[in-house]
Amino acid sequence: MSFIPGIGLVRGMGLTLRRFFQPKATIRWPEEKADVAPKFRGRLQLLYDEFGTLKCETCFQCAQACPIECIDMGGMDTKGRFHVHWGPPETYGERREESALRRSGRPVADPAYARFETLDPAAVDEILEAHDYDPRDLLAILEETQAAYGYLPVAALKHISRVTGAWYATIYGAATSYRHLRFEPPAIASAAPAGEGQREQEAGYRSALDAALGYGSERPG
Amino acid sequence: MSTFLATPSDWPLVLTGRAGAIAADPTDLDKAVAAGAFDALRVVVRDLGATGTIATIAASGLCGRGGAGIQTGESWRATASHDTDQRYVVANAYDADPGVHVSAALLGADPWTVIEGLAIAAFATGATEAILALRADDMALVTMLEGAVLAAEEAGFLGDDVLGSGHRVTVTVRPVQGAYMLGEETVLLRALEGRRGQPEQQPPYPTERGLWEKPTVIDNVQTLAAVPWIIREGADRFAAIGGTTAEPRGSGPDLGTVLVQLRGPAGAGIAEVPLGTPLRALVDLAGGVGSRPLKALLVGGPTGGILPADLLDTPYAVEELREAGAQIGSGSVVIADDRACVVDLARLLTRFAADQACGKTIPCRIGLRRLAEIGDRIAEGRPRPTDPALIGDLAHDIVASALCDHERFAVLPLTSGMRYFRSEIDDHLLRSACPAGVCTPIAMAAGAATPGPR
Repeated sequence: MSFIPGIGLVRGMGLTLRRFFQPKATIRWPEEKADVAPKFRGRLQLLYDEFGTLKCETCFQCAQACPIECIDMGGMDTKGRFHVHWGPPETYGERREESALRRSGRPVADPAYARFETLDPAAVDEILEAHDYDPRDLLAILEETQAAYGYLPVAALKHISRVTGAWYATIYGAATSYRHLRFEPPAIASAAPAGEGQREQEAGYRSALDAALGYGSERPG
Repeated sequence: MSTFLATPSDWPLVLTGRAGAIAADPTDLDKAVAAGAFDALRVVVRDLGATGTIATIAASGLCGRGGAGIQTGESWRATASHDTDQRYVVANAYDADPGVHVSAALLGADPWTVIEGLAIAAFATGATEAILALRADDMALVTMLEGAVLAAEEAGFLGDDVLGSGHRVTVTVRPVQGAYMLGEETVLLRALEGRRGQPEQQPPYPTERGLWEKPTVIDNVQTLAAVPWIIREGADRFAAIGGTTAEPRGSGPDLGTVLVQLRGPAGAGIAEVPLGTPLRALVDLAGGVGSRPLKALLVGGPTGGILPADLLDTPYAVEELREAGAQIGSGSVVIADDRACVVDLARLLTRFAADQACGKTIPCRIGLRRLAEIGDRIAEGRPRPTDPALIGDLAHDIVASALCDHERFAVLPLTSGMRYFRSEIDDHLLRSACPAGVCTPIAMAAGAATPGPR
């Protein structure tokens, strides 16, 4: 290819002129919408369904997937089974405690958050020792912790997470998926044992099926 | 302890054959050994070896009873073929269906055949760790099984040196509880790992990446209980049991026997039946239909199908039931007479399946709920014109995007109801009437329509 003097300059100016007459990249949102990839998720947001309940299932899959553990949850879970304790209210409580210490030099006792803070971890430590601090025995550890305290205190879960090195979201995610584990002490002393949740549903199914069939309510088998 | 129903004498008893001989005390190892327990393990260790055992099981055509219908010999071979430092064998004894107790009944009547099957599977695949996972409801059964495993270890059938072969097999009894979905194999594996109980995408199958990411054989207890019988009596004799005329002898997933939980107006119980037995024979085993005419059969538990009376000659077998719109599933067969309303039954089953779903995939979590709502709308006499078409479309989409078998089969009650009982559903849809008199549509409650004959 022969060398023509000034060809680079002409090419460069050509590109400039082309760009000059091309449409601008500025998007006049919201009249215009950006053309983004189908898997683009943008801002994380909790959505509500048409009945006004949260669509979030508190399955903790997002929290488990988040590499820097920046996702957490708080409030009553969407099936009305338990309180998800870990989240904004508690974080807020901790921050308030810190700022009170900084300002006045003494902590402010707050009965609403007392439950999160005081726990004698001796029982958890004993259970963890018996399981060799192995997070692979997590379900057994959780069941024994519940047997020791009557429920799964959040502080105990945090303690397990800190000692075994398993992520808090993984522990909480596993614990919330089984109906025989609970996160609050029973409100009344005569409450049913923790394992009853699933068994109640199964008994309900059996009796509903019998009723639909027109049978008596005796158990099969 | 559940007893098994008496079946005709020419029906072979593969799984429960020894239960009668040791019925006095199922936990007595000496009596069980006298009745033939652990004979097959001895044959496996002394004569067959690992590859010979897998070849025998493959030749018998034994298939997994968990629903997938995969050849057990193939999955054992796949597990044994992976180069790894550890393999696992898991026995799934979790009866997820609330109305079914077949695994617990089998373990209670003859724990030795399952333990022997576990030991053979572990020996054949080169696994040293075997896990028996069952419901935590019956802690007496768990304690009994732990005692049985200890006794077998002391007698040298399990432990560090199985029958002098130098092979180590440790059996652990693991009670699990708290979720319906634990019956699904990948969910059970996650639960044994102490993780959230949700199914995984397959492949990779558990035979490649199962428990702790290691190759894992996971079999139903009924599958494992058939293994010692096959080794003892020979693969050919097993391949001669069951089967249907549709497929050549010795092939297909319908060989051997299964335990069925029967329930009808005249009786209930668990029976061991050869696959391919007509549904009519199962109805007879359950004590017949009673005084009222048979209307439908619920085959397969909460995620099973509703079959009409004119399909009573359908063989109880994987392929035939699938074509008819049902499944073996949990092994439950329930007789419904004319007191039952199909719409009411279908919406009840769909509601239970939706409530128990783990919520991992959106079509299952939301689609099943919408299906149950459509069922409610039809039963309450306020259907939308699009509802019948919507059931079909939604069911198709749920099945097409299914992650596990729960999702794949949970649409069956409504789809099979639509297929076989369209006239009864049309009565609900068009005339706001329930022929069985079970549902109380809003129009009927207000006196606008007359109830059907009861």
